[in-house]
Amino acid sequence: MRALEGLDLRVPRGAVFGLLGPNGAGKTTLVKLLLGIAFPTAGRATVLGRPPGDIEAKARMGYLPENHRYPPHLTGEQALHYFGRLSGLRSPGRASRVDGMLRRVKLDAWRSARVRTYSKGMMQRLGMAQALLNDPELLILDEPTDGIDPIGRHEIRDILIEQAGRGTTIFLNSHLLSEVERLCTRVAILKDGLLVREGSVDELTRPTNVHEVTTRGLTPETLAALQSRIPGLSADVAGAEGGPRRLELRGGQEDLNRLIDLLRERNVEIAAVRQSRESLEDVFVKIVGEKAP
Amino acid sequence: MKVAAILLDTCRELLYRKTLWIYSGIVSLTLLFFLLALQTDVAGGVIASLKVFGLEGHASGGGFTLDSQQGGGSAGLTAASFVQGIQIAVAFVLYPLGIMLSVFATAGLVPSLLERGLIDLLLSKPVSRPMLFLSRFLGAVLVAAVNLIYLVGGLGLILGIKTGVWNPGFLLSGLAMALYFACLLGFVALFGVLFRSSAVSIMMTAVIFVASLIVRWPHQNADWPRLITGRAARFVAQGLVETLYHALPRTYDFGQIVAALILGRGTASLGAMLGSALAGGAALAVATYYFSRIDF
Repeated sequence: MRALEGLDLRVPRGAVFGLLGPNGAGKTTLVKLLLGIAFPTAGRATVLGRPPGDIEAKARMGYLPENHRYPPHLTGEQALHYFGRLSGLRSPGRASRVDGMLRRVKLDAWRSARVRTYSKGMMQRLGMAQALLNDPELLILDEPTDGIDPIGRHEIRDILIEQAGRGTTIFLNSHLLSEVERLCTRVAILKDGLLVREGSVDELTRPTNVHEVTTRGLTPETLAALQSRIPGLSADVAGAEGGPRRLELRGGQEDLNRLIDLLRERNVEIAAVRQSRESLEDVFVKIVGEKAP
Repeated sequence: MKVAAILLDTCRELLYRKTLWIYSGIVSLTLLFFLLALQTDVAGGVIASLKVFGLEGHASGGGFTLDSQQGGGSAGLTAASFVQGIQIAVAFVLYPLGIMLSVFATAGLVPSLLERGLIDLLLSKPVSRPMLFLSRFLGAVLVAAVNLIYLVGGLGLILGIKTGVWNPGFLLSGLAMALYFACLLGFVALFGVLFRSSAVSIMMTAVIFVASLIVRWPHQNADWPRLITGRAARFVAQGLVETLYHALPRTYDFGQIVAALILGRGTASLGAMLGSALAGGAALAVATYYFSRIDF
């Protein structure tokens, strides 16, 4: 069985790249091949201009594996020092770097606790800290927000946004499509070891023929009159009288213009008009659901 | 620095597992016994009087008795023989125990290294696979060697101060045991990387230990092939015995080496040490090569 086949992928420097795919698509295998954790049977890859597993390239990379674990006998601080030494960080700079990372991932108060006592969220934050310890040029993250509560996810997202702002290239494997959509500039979708789609988030998530119109002062009578004249129009549940009301119009530009004209004729205030786009999740489900030719 | 980091982590892991603390405790009790309980007077290289916990030692037959009778002395027992006797006794009890506990303690080092989630992290760091594996091996040998040095150094020092006899052979016997453990650990590492299980590693190492003792007899006795009637069977059996003898650490020979070093009799068998080192080195080389080539 081939885990990956005919994969041709280029991640530009400075990009935040999201790799998507269902379980067993080959995402983790690809990451392991890039890091030299697994060996390819054929093909060629370069990471930071060097072959996979190259020691010099790995010194410039950070990696957070899926389901990572740390030696249970180490405290959080000892674990960071251990991985810092392995990354080639020397004292005394290493100590201040470890202190800074513990503060950044909010584990400062837990630095002397053994990692076996850490919760899943704390482990994930420690994982982020070790991955960022050597200030990498390339950060590879495999499910970084897996098993983390929404606040923890938000914190990790902030760290990644900050890191991307510093010019770090981020390669993100994730099942959480909303995370990928928010963070990534480019996305690739793998299915059964094949690259089935690649592009920017904007390229992948096309505009739909659905428009959202937010109104104020729309009465039920006016809405009924509009719906009788425009078939593709629906509305959310009414709130307070005279309050905002969101309309959804399925149709083309002509229908939208007609709706706007009718609303203006009836003195209904138009607060916003937005064309809906397919979400990354819609695209993903569609692609993954397609049967192989 | 990277090697030092792995060595430090290996030592921490072994200390965390506490198995070797048991050995250190037994050694400490042994040293305390000789430090506090044993009192000797040596005159002209001969034991003039000997007391253990205040009881007088008397030569009786080929051995020693302890009783409350005063005087009598030790019947011309030289201090050197006395010290060598103690060292032999301690070596043949505490060396095998130390080796056994060290194998128990270190058998999990490779399987724990290979655990999913940890090995991915370690291999993502700028460290070569052989360096990672061999540093772990070296850390285990160092911890076991420190324990042996604690025993031979401590006991040699206590007996030296109390009797004036300094036996460098005893210190060398500790180093010989450290070498033997390193040879055995080569196999522990090989089984660890092949089976990824501490329990299987321990069992397989026990098999190696017993097999190395068993094959020594047919290797030393030229007549044994006569017990096998078929020519082909004899050829195969002889080949198997010789292969195993040369491919395994030479446990029995190491026992003789330890005795020879402590008693200062003859020379230690360099051939046996070299052969064992080659066997352990070969097992370690195969383990390192396999570790360097597998996908995680």
